[in-house]
Amino acid sequence: MPIIVNLDVMMAKRKMSLNELSEKVDLTLANLSILKTGKAKAVRFSTLEAICKALNCQPGDILEFVD
Amino acid sequence: MKTRTILKILHVLSWVIFIGVCIEAGGSIFSAFYTLVINPVNASTFWEGNDLSALYKYDPGHFFAETSLISIAAVLKACIFYLVIKMLHDKKLSLSQPFNNEVRLFILKVSYLTFGIALFTWWGVNYTGWLVSQGVKMPDTQHLRLGGADVWLFMGVTLFVIAQIFKRGIEIQTENELTV
Repeated sequence: MPIIVNLDVMMAKRKMSLNELSEKVDLTLANLSILKTGKAKAVRFSTLEAICKALNCQPGDILEFVD
Repeated sequence: MKTRTILKILHVLSWVIFIGVCIEAGGSIFSAFYTLVINPVNASTFWEGNDLSALYKYDPGHFFAETSLISIAAVLKACIFYLVIKMLHDKKLSLSQPFNNEVRLFILKVSYLTFGIALFTWWGVNYTGWLVSQGVKMPDTQHLRLGGADVWLFMGVTLFVIAQIFKRGIEIQTENELTV
């Protein structure tokens, strides 16, 4: 898929673990793992909003389009 | 009534039907073999009392062809119920995730078998009609278990359509599971 999820990069920049993010955005570790590994087929706006809020970033920092 | 209870009842019913169709298939195969190899007199009391002695006297080759069509249709019916029993026994029918690939393949296989039964019964009916037109006294196609080719075909098409809908259902379910 040409959409790359850079969640791990942002987490490393913010020095935040997956457990910590999971608690902050109220998502299960399994679902966050699906998103992190790029297996996700769709992302809800509410999830994206919660992640951006927790990581203090923009959606573009997490999602990237590669042709 | 709960779905689990209905499935248990269906499992028992499938076993009963499976045993019945196996006896029917085995009976017609054995009867044909016995008539052709051991004792031709048996043609007058072919499986379930059908008198095929006139056909045997006309030509044993046609007798073999006719009994083969009857046997193939009976074996295919037994195969369908074998698949139903296997499906229910292996518990591949998950009620929490009903749209899965095993169920889709099961429906697809049953639809192909149903197409096969439709083909062989239709062939059998036409063949019997041709034999009657040749002056051979034949039992009714219903008694020979060759009737209802159109119903089998209709069932096959319906199951094939359901299998295609299942395919889309699996895609939607997977997409839903992978939505974060």
